[in-house]
Amino acid sequence: MTVPALPRLREPANLVCPRARWLWLIGGIGQAVVLAGLQVGWWFIDRRDARGPHVVVAIVVGVLVLGYLIVMPIWRYRVHRWEVTATAVYTQTGWLTQERRIAPLSRVQTVDLTRGPIAQLLRLATVRVTTASAAGHLVIHGLDRDHAAVLVERLTAAAAAERGDAT
Amino acid sequence: MSDGIPPILAGDAQWRRLDARMLLVHPVQEAVRFLPALLVVFVNGRSNGRSPWWDLGFLAAIVVVGMMRWFTTRYRIWGGQIELRQGLLNRRLLMTPADRVRTVDVTAPIWHRALGLAKVEIGTAGGGPREHRIVLDALAAPVAAELRGELLHRLTQARADQQPAPDGSVVQEDAEQVLVALDPTWIRYAPLTTSGLVSAAAIWGFSAQYVEQADDLQEKVEGAVDRVAALGVGLAVVAGLLAALLLVSLLAVSGYVLTYWGFRLTRHTGGTLHTRRGLLTARATSLEEKRIRGVEIGRPLGLRLAGAGRLSAVTTGLGHEGTQGGSAWLTPPAPGEVVTRTAVSVIGDEPAVVGPITRHGRAARRRRYTRASVPAVLVCAATVWGATRVDLPAFLVVAGCLPVVFAPMLAADRYAALGHAVTPAHFVVRSGSFSQRRDALSRDGIIGVTIRESFFQRRAGVVTLTATTAAGRQRYHAVDLPVEVSTPLAAELLPGPFADLCGADLHPGGAAAEVSQAGNAVAADL
Repeated sequence: MTVPALPRLREPANLVCPRARWLWLIGGIGQAVVLAGLQVGWWFIDRRDARGPHVVVAIVVGVLVLGYLIVMPIWRYRVHRWEVTATAVYTQTGWLTQERRIAPLSRVQTVDLTRGPIAQLLRLATVRVTTASAAGHLVIHGLDRDHAAVLVERLTAAAAAERGDAT
Repeated sequence: MSDGIPPILAGDAQWRRLDARMLLVHPVQEAVRFLPALLVVFVNGRSNGRSPWWDLGFLAAIVVVGMMRWFTTRYRIWGGQIELRQGLLNRRLLMTPADRVRTVDVTAPIWHRALGLAKVEIGTAGGGPREHRIVLDALAAPVAAELRGELLHRLTQARADQQPAPDGSVVQEDAEQVLVALDPTWIRYAPLTTSGLVSAAAIWGFSAQYVEQADDLQEKVEGAVDRVAALGVGLAVVAGLLAALLLVSLLAVSGYVLTYWGFRLTRHTGGTLHTRRGLLTARATSLEEKRIRGVEIGRPLGLRLAGAGRLSAVTTGLGHEGTQGGSAWLTPPAPGEVVTRTAVSVIGDEPAVVGPITRHGRAARRRRYTRASVPAVLVCAATVWGATRVDLPAFLVVAGCLPVVFAPMLAADRYAALGHAVTPAHFVVRSGSFSQRRDALSRDGIIGVTIRESFFQRRAGVVTLTATTAAGRQRYHAVDLPVEVSTPLAAELLPGPFADLCGADLHPGGAAAEVSQAGNAVAADL
């Protein structure tokens, strides 16, 4: 890969918490369980005697899922980044499809902190920053719980400092 | 209500009811809503030999439910607030400050018109979900007009407070300037829109349910088909297509007349745009110009071939995404020059409407071709492979391979449309073929930027840059932009934040600065 000598947006400065990899892994295992369930269902519904197709499909799906479970969390962890500057919130998310979102602090409307059951076990939290645009929210997954709380306070203070209805 | 009432906004703390004539309309509306249930009860009652009093009782219950809506709805406009109280079991109170009112929509469906009533819908700032709109269904037409006038007059007043009005012009309907008035010859564009096709499909779906049961009708239809088929298959197909075309065109024309009859777009000194339209259902919409964040010029293929287009406003406060339920239309399907002239007059930025567009380059062109061709080739391959396995009719194979012929044309057209531009006031994006759009979004209205790259886009060195906004569609995409163009563009759209995110990078020779900054990051860049 060649890096063009033209200006590019730099990456956000901060990585998310390393434990976020476990969060993504557990999420991936959840999806794998659903696939396995479908496989088992097919085994019982299929009336024919030949079990060859079942084995082939199971092996192919198994290899793909295993690859996904190994690669996805690591890849995501390298991509997912965030930063809050004096004027903006900036995030980078995704793995195969990557997305960078920038919202000026002056346009921030609400800041939410959510913790799912697994995230609670891992002491993680998700921060969601919304703007007046239905398409403009930013989500930072897998932050350390304490860091997230500090971040929310900072963002809320910044958003409250702005006047107007931020549209 | 008499003419001598004091202005509504300055009004008293009195809760008002909707117009009493709604006691006639609500039960009818409820009855229509419950029509299927009513029919079931009636048919069931007849076959069981139940007393007809049951049916009457059921009907009466519906009438009472309908009338309850009138008794349980009250509103007042007092102390700078609009308040609406609704519901008996599920009570809710909607409140909004009158100075947050952005749009006022006055609609009169046919039975409202017959009784001299009109429905008022008030859209507020924030462009939230539909529940945040205040709907007064319905008031006497003069009261509705007066309310609309006063809410918008209030906007005028607010502006007049900042810069004293030259004279005591306080009436809202002063000095109106007509921007667009429907020319009946524009009806010729109706068959070129897809609206006729949509209504034909709707009618087809609706009638199919009944036709299925009517066996004798089916026989008649089959008989007719047989007679036509006797003329020869080719002729039958042509006759069928012509008949379908005629039907769809007729539907499109009647739809156009019903929707746009009497269309007028006017501008008022108070800084509002008003549209009026409709043959049976009369609609009047008022948009505050300050809230307009741009325009959307739609040129779907049919209209484009005829040199026509249509225009809608990109605005906050209408509550729907997209074209906002028709409230934001600024012209009906109309000749291109009318659309252009109106767009320029609304946003006052000619380069944004007709100015040149920056193309997205070779990678974007290549992606248009692959994206159009790959599915077409797959479908063609599948049909050919199918033809070798089973006995497929020849016309199916031809139909399956036809897209391969049209795919390059589609791709060329899509690439020709693709582009963006930045004017001092607007960010302009254009894309699409069948439904081509040119959107001019006010740069003040941009509240965020998203840069997205899929796996394949990353390999091709392009990204999709999306400007997010609180108005209109909420997101406006510049698709397959070369990656090196995307950063300067994003920086132009959000100058403040980018000073921190790129720093020296934006200037020529800034690559070194980028490397050092990336070096500060926790993980190394690839």
